[in-house]
Formats: sequence, structure tokens, C-alpha cells
Amino acid sequence: MAKNDLQGSLDLLTLKTLSQMGELHGYGIVLHIQRASDEMLSVEEGSLYPALHRMEQSGWIRSEWKLTDTNRKAKYYRLTAAGQKELRKAEESFEQLVKGVRAVLRYAQG
Amino acid sequence: MSILRRIANLFRRSKLDQDIEAELRSHIEMRTADNIVAGMSPKEARRQAVLRFGSRPAMKERVIAADAHMFLDSLWQDLCYGVRVLRKSPGFTAVAVLTLALGIGANTAIFSVIDAVLLRSLPVKDPQQLVVLRWSAHSKPKVHGFSGYGDCVDQKCSFSLPFFRIMDAQAKAFSGMAAFAGPLDMDFSGNGEASIAHGTFVSGDFFSTLGVNAFIGRPLTASDDTPSAPPAIVLTYAYWQRAFGGDRSVIGRSVHLDNVAVTIIGVADPRFTNLTPGNTQDFFLPCSLADRVKGEWWGNQSRTSETDIWWVIALGRLKPGVSISQAQAEATAIFRNEMLHGASPAFKDADAPEIHLLPAQAGLNGETSQIAPILYLLMIGVGFILLIACANVAGLMLARSATRQKEMSVRLALGAGRARLVRQLLTESVLLSVIGAAFGILFAAWGVRAFIELFSSGYVQFPFAVAPDWRVLTFTIGVTLITGILFGLAPALRGTRVDLTPSLKENASSLPGTAVHARRFFRLGNALVVTQVALSIVVLIGAGLLVRTMRNLHNLNPGFDARNILIFNIDPTIAGYSDQQTQELYSNLQQRFAAIPGVSSVSYSEDALLDGGHSGDDVHLDGAPPKQNVSTGILPVGLNFFSTMHIPLLAGRTLMSADFATAISTNAAQHALGAVATKQHSVPDSAAAAALASAQQAYTHSASVPVLINETFAKKILSKQNPVGLHMGDGQNSDDEVQHPGPGYTIVGIVGDTKYAYLRRPIEPMMFLPLVSNSAYFELRAAGNPTALVKNVRDIVSRAGENLPLTNVRTQTEQIEQTLYLERLLSRLSSFFGALALVLACIGLYGLLAYEVARRTREIGIRMALGAQQRDLLRLIVGQGILLAVIGSALGIAAALGVTRFISSMLFGVRANDPLTIVAVAILLAVVALLACYIPARRAMRVDPMVALRYE
Repeated sequence: MAKNDLQGSLDLLTLKTLSQMGELHGYGIVLHIQRASDEMLSVEEGSLYPALHRMEQSGWIRSEWKLTDTNRKAKYYRLTAAGQKELRKAEESFEQLVKGVRAVLRYAQG
Repeated sequence: MSILRRIANLFRRSKLDQDIEAELRSHIEMRTADNIVAGMSPKEARRQAVLRFGSRPAMKERVIAADAHMFLDSLWQDLCYGVRVLRKSPGFTAVAVLTLALGIGANTAIFSVIDAVLLRSLPVKDPQQLVVLRWSAHSKPKVHGFSGYGDCVDQKCSFSLPFFRIMDAQAKAFSGMAAFAGPLDMDFSGNGEASIAHGTFVSGDFFSTLGVNAFIGRPLTASDDTPSAPPAIVLTYAYWQRAFGGDRSVIGRSVHLDNVAVTIIGVADPRFTNLTPGNTQDFFLPCSLADRVKGEWWGNQSRTSETDIWWVIALGRLKPGVSISQAQAEATAIFRNEMLHGASPAFKDADAPEIHLLPAQAGLNGETSQIAPILYLLMIGVGFILLIACANVAGLMLARSATRQKEMSVRLALGAGRARLVRQLLTESVLLSVIGAAFGILFAAWGVRAFIELFSSGYVQFPFAVAPDWRVLTFTIGVTLITGILFGLAPALRGTRVDLTPSLKENASSLPGTAVHARRFFRLGNALVVTQVALSIVVLIGAGLLVRTMRNLHNLNPGFDARNILIFNIDPTIAGYSDQQTQELYSNLQQRFAAIPGVSSVSYSEDALLDGGHSGDDVHLDGAPPKQNVSTGILPVGLNFFSTMHIPLLAGRTLMSADFATAISTNAAQHALGAVATKQHSVPDSAAAAALASAQQAYTHSASVPVLINETFAKKILSKQNPVGLHMGDGQNSDDEVQHPGPGYTIVGIVGDTKYAYLRRPIEPMMFLPLVSNSAYFELRAAGNPTALVKNVRDIVSRAGENLPLTNVRTQTEQIEQTLYLERLLSRLSSFFGALALVLACIGLYGLLAYEVARRTREIGIRMALGAQQRDLLRLIVGQGILLAVIGSALGIAAALGVTRFISSMLFGVRANDPLTIVAVAILLAVVALLACYIPARRAMRVDPMVALRYE
């Protein structure tokens, strides 16, 4: 994991979103991350879908075509058990990354 | 398994595409709707939504690339691991790869040859429409001459040219018909030195019916095949390249065939090589030339007009929608009408003459009919090799997975997924097979070349184009791959399911009786080794029988001394010599050859002994009951033939000069009669009838021809009387009244038995007459090496006549070797495959025992510590191996006894259940098996008890 930080964090954000919101389509994920981060993070659609596809192929999430509230067909994603496990790992490694980065920054200051 | 889903995705790309497309569309629609709610105009809302995405095709590509990347990534990971694992045990890897390569390579090579020889398709347009005509009847046809040129198994595909023309004109089932005959040797001059070239007579519509075009110039057409047409020939591409260097100006050039001027009008399409495998020609000439360009001796008979010379093969192209049986019914009706009520009936009603139509490819089998049984035999042989190789791989994989059971258990205990382990084992198996296959391809390519070289040794060219066959390669690789996967995976799956604790503890208690899995493996391993040994015994016994056949043929006494004899063919008839001139030439040459230093004796004969050529006849002995004939071989010979060949004279005398003079005058009387008869046939009047009667009289009263017979003839037929001085050949060969008996033969002596055409044939009654016409083989007995005489011989022949082609120069020993080339090929290949089978089986045995020793190191150590002698250990390990070898051998011998009778027709001088061969093979196997056991046993004896007990 965490081969590349940006990709890693996109996975983390997506997995976390799905664990918080249950079932969501791609557009919904974009909106949620935007809203939940107080408009600080904006997910690029061009990266989201490849990531979703990859995570689905890895068995972390599962998808299903459903109708939205406005009667539109959309592909909904939900977390699997493997995805839960992956999310925990990703959270841990993100915490460590943050800790590590912060330590370095502190060292530079002091 | 997600890996499978991903592979599936790669193939189902279009579906994936649609799915992604739909998802992206719904995303954009949702954002557009939101943008509108936020106050944008619908157009702007959509533009913004699309903008955020960038290029949609590029996006789709990225989704799919994510997929492929993951797949390749994990594949690469597994591959790296697999390579590492294989490199860790180089012995196992080498043996497995070699086994696979040999199995795959040998099978691919042999199947490629089979494909080229037996399954090839004819190089013509729509070959499936082409049929060859074949007749059948209850008795032999009443015809004068029969000729076949090796196109069909027997000569029942030959017809007379007039009959072919009738069939061509009357049959409505065919869109076209073609006749051909040959190739025949013809004297080709006008292009440098005179040489022998091979010409095939074809009917005018041959090229158009087959759909073959000219490469340059034009093909022969119907207008070329008429008596008045200017003589024209078409060269084959290969001959054009070889003899004319591909010179385009040959079109229109005039050359001479047997002293007849002909014009080259075209060169055939390079793809059109031959119809019948093995029959390759240099050029095609129209059938209408057959009376002027003879190619072979037909006296003064006309092959173009006489209905009782059957010599052309007839092909028909079925009209679309016409079935073979419809065409067959029509052809039979025409054939029957012509044979029963035509100009000269060849059959009676009761003979029920019929025509059968065969697909041309199957009908024109030519040499393949000789090679086919050999190839099928080899196919079975290599099939066995493949089985042994698979068993070997299976055994190796089993042994390996058994030794890795602990590794698997440890990894499972550490939390590895079962799927992951299975995937990795799978990758290893596939990796092994791929490496094996790569070497297999090399081996196959080499094998095909080696096979052709082996086949072409001596004077015989392998007449088929062979290339490694990719379908077969795929098949064999598939088989070995599946074997590897099954036997590598099955125990691994079982291993991953086991309760972990006993496996981990196994080493602590690796005394007999507790290692459950190892024991179970061992039983399966035993079975595999026994199977391998049994299979290899079958292959070895087959090979042994074929090798003994070869040796028997080699050591056979042919009845004459084959050493130090140079033979070569001279054909004055195609250089236009008359019988008289031929006779003078021969005696002249005989004297000059005899004068060459180092030549002790010279003679000649119509066929060389053991060159495959054979003439024969039924002869009736005067005074014997009618129809009681002697079926005898006939060989016209020159002066001193018997002394030159060292054939002993048993009674009477040999041929003398006076005998030749007698034969010449009798022969002349016969020719005169033939000429008169032909004239009388065309202009039947009373003067001609009188001339015929007197010629008849002259022939009947000419002197009988002096002949020698062999011992078998004398013993079998004339046991009651002394045969010397007897007369035979009064013509009482059948019930029919003999109206004009010929002068017949007088026996002047008896000589020792010799083989005639083939070594394999039993010795038959033989009759030797004075040679007075036709081509001849000269035999020069040398004091030393006969090949040293070749230059002198060439000089003498070229001085005797410049158009005299000298061909087939070789020694008598080489000649015999050549007739044995199929046998030699078979014995060499089968011994190679036998050795291969033996080696593979022993590798299997070795692998099993080596594994045993490794597994039981601790036990052996304890035994040694408790005072076991080295001898006991040796007995423990070797005994087990020998037991397996013995069981396998017994099964193999039993199987061989059942199987080898199928090759009994290929054997000579040895029975299919020859005990000597079986015992020899069993001993050979025992020795090699002992060796295979000894190496692991020695390793067991070297075990240091202290180290073994401390192990782990």
C-alpha cells in the first residue's frame, strides 16, 4: 500500500466515505468529500473512476446499478469486509504518514 | 478469484467499455442537473460538467489501464517468485524442463512429418472436388501391357488413353477430366550436355482441369494434345531454376527429347510441385507425343491408339452438386459398356467391372503408402514418450509438493490465503511448462531437420516439405501444461486443506508409519514409476525387434557376392539405338570395361539385383497339365553374369555367345511378326493376311531361347526330372487354345539361388535369359575399391556415344543399403525413441528414490546409529527401486506381447514375441535401473548419523 501518497489518500477518502455513508455513486462520493472537507478537498473525476474500478477489482468495494432519488440510473458502490480491513490499514498508514511528516516538519522548525 | 475476473475483463472489453460509458454519463447528468439548480443555463451547465472530466475516451482508457496494470503487476510478482523458487532447485528444474522439452519436441517433430506426408493437400484449385478413377473386377483384364508409376498402391488406377478419351467425352458428372502418366526417364538434350530428365505425359486439359497456371509462357492446352500439333512441353518451376537458371528466354526455345525436337512453351506455377507424393517431374509433355517420345520400351506398339495398353491415371473434377456416388454410377456404366462391348473387350460380364472414385488426395498416395505405416508406428512410439514424460513431470511435481508441504503449512499458519498459494503454485507449473516448451520448440525444429536428413540419406531424397506444425506444438504443450498443473496443484490443494499441526510436527516423528501424506504420495509415485517403466519396456521391445530386423536383413546372404561391385545404368534405347546397335554397344563396352586396370570381371543385366526392379511371368512346362504354370522371376543378363556376380553354376552350362545369337534371331522374328500384325490391323487385306501367316510361321519355328533357371525353380517344379535340356513356354498358360505358340525356352543350366528385387522377399523361381535389347545395368567387379573406377567408366561411355547418359552409378553394397533405407530409418528412430523412453523412465525412478532418501535421512541416521550395515541400507533403497523396475518390466512385457504383433509385417527373421529381444531389453532396463537406484543409495550410505540426527 501507499505506493504513492496521492493515490493512497484518494483510496482512503473513498473507502472512508463509503464506510460513513453506506451506499453511494461516484458523483455522490465527489460531493461528499467536498462537503465533508469544507470544500478544502476536491476530487478529480478523472482519477476517481479508475480508482473505483481498481478497488472493485481488488474486492474492497462492490457495485450495483440502482435508481437515484431523481429516478436516474447510477452505479452505487458499497464497502466489503475486505474493504473494511483495507480501510483500517489505510487509516493506520495515513496516521503514520501524518505523524512522520509532522515530526520532520517540527525538526525543521526546531 | 479476482485474477480470473481480471483476465476475463481483458477479453470482455466491449462490455466493460459500455459499463464505464454509462457510469460516466450518469455522473455528468447528475452534475449538469446540480449546475442548473445552481443557476447556470442548461448549455453552460452541461459544458462545465463535461469540462471537469476532460477527455472521456482518455478517461475510459485509464480505467482499463488500471485493470491491466494490476494484472501484470501481480503476474510479474508471481513470476519473479516462481523463477526464484525454480532457481533454488536447479536439479529439479533441469530434469523437468528437459523431460518436457523432449516430450514436446519429439511429438511435434513426428506429427509435423505426419502432417506433411499424410495430411497435406494437393497443390491445385479446390482439391476436394478432384477424384481419381479406379477400376475393380473379379479377374485380371485381358490387356497387353500395364504400367503404373507409383501413384496408386496397386496398378488399378491405370487406363488406356483411348478409354480415357471416351470417358472424358461421355461423362457428364465432371466439369473436366485430366489424364497423366509418369514421370518417365527421357533423354533431354539441347541444353548443354545430354542428361536424363523426368517427363510426365499429360492430357491437353490437365492444366485447366487442375486449375494450374503458367508462371511464364502458357500451360499446355487441348490443342497441344493432338497428333498434328507442334510438339510442346511445359517445365516445372524447380527444373527451370535448376537446369536453366530461371532464364526467362527459354520460352520458345527448342530442345530434344529422345531425339524429337520439342518447344518449351511455359513454366508451371511454382506451387504446383506434384500430385502424388514422391513423384516429382521436370517437365510435362502432351500424351499425343507418347508414340514419338517413348520414355520406356514399348516395342512398336502405340500407347496413344491401342486400347489394351493401360498406362494413364484419370482424374475428374466433380461438377458442383454432383455427389461421388452419382459420378461413380455414371463412370461405371461407361466403363462397363466399353469393357464388355467396346472395340476390344477386356472383361467378361461375370467379372463385374466397376469404377470407384476416390478423393484425389487419398487415391494418389504413392510413396506415402510405404511411409505411412512407419509414421503411424513412430506416432505411437512418441505418444508413449509423451505419456512417460507426463508421468515423469507428474512424479516430479508430486515429490516436490510433498517436500514443500511444510513450507505451505508454515505460510498458511502465517496467514497466507489459500488462493494466493494455489495461484503461486499454478504460476510455477506454467513457468516450468513455458520454459520446457521453449526448449521443446528448438528440439522440434531440430528434430524435423534431423528426420529429413535421416530419410534422405544415400540416394533417396525425402520428397515432402516439412515444417514444425504449430497446432501440434500447441496440443503437446497443452497436455504437458495440464499434467504439470494437475499434479502440482492437486497435492498442493490437499496440502493447504490439512490440519496444520501434524504437518508441522512431521519432522519430529519421521519414522515409518507416521508420515501419512508422504506415504500417500509414495503410493502414487510408485504407480507412476511402474507405469513409466512398463511404457518404456514396450517402446524398447518394439525398437529391439526393428533393430534385429535391420541386422537380419544386413547379414542376409543374397546368394551373390555384393562386395567390390560397381553398378551403373546405360540406356541406349532413349538415345535412339536399335536393338542391333544396342547389342554391339554392350559387347563393345564389356570389352573396354574389362580392360580397365583393377577390373576383374564385367557383365550386365536388365535390372541390377536388389534394386527393386522386377519382371516376371507365368511359364508352362511342356508336358505338364494345362494351367499348371510356374510363376517365375525373369532377368535378362549378359555374358559372364554369373561368374561376375559369383553365383555358382550347379548343373549344365552358363550362357555362351552362341546363345545370344540365337536369342537375337528369335527376337527379330518376334519383332517382324509384331510389325506385320500392326500393318494387317490397319489395312486388312488378303496380302497382309498371307504376310501375317508366314511371319507367324517364322516366329513359331525360330529357335527356342536358351535359359538358366535357379535352384528353387528346379526343385519346386521339376523335382522328378533332370531339368537341363527341358523345353518350356509352349503357351498352355490358360484354358484358351494356343493358336500360335512361340518358340519358348530351353533350359541349359541351373544356378544357385539369389534374391532378386528385394531382400525381404522370399527367394522365388528365377529364369535368366540372354539380354538382347533394352537398357542395362553394368556390373564391374573390382579388385579393390570399386568407386575408383568411376572416372574411367565415364570416359569410356562418353567416347562410345555422346548422347549416352550414364545414371545410377553406385556400388552394389550402396544399392542394397538404399533398398533398406526405410528399415534403417525405422531401426534408427525407434532405437532413439527407445533410449529416450529408457532415460526418462530412469529419471523418474531416480527422482522418486532420491526423494525417498531425502525424506528418510533421519530414519537412515537412526538405523546407522543402531548398527545397520551399509549393505542393509543399500538393500533398503536399491531393493525398493528394483522391485518397482521388476513390476514395471513384467507389466511392460505383458503389454508388449499384446502390442508387437501389430508390427509383425515390418519384421524380418524375427518373431513379434522374440524371447531374446525381450530378455535383452529386460536386462538393459535392469542395469540402467540399478544405476538410477545406486546414486541415491550411495547418498543414503554417506549419511552421517550425527548430522542426520541433529538435522533441524
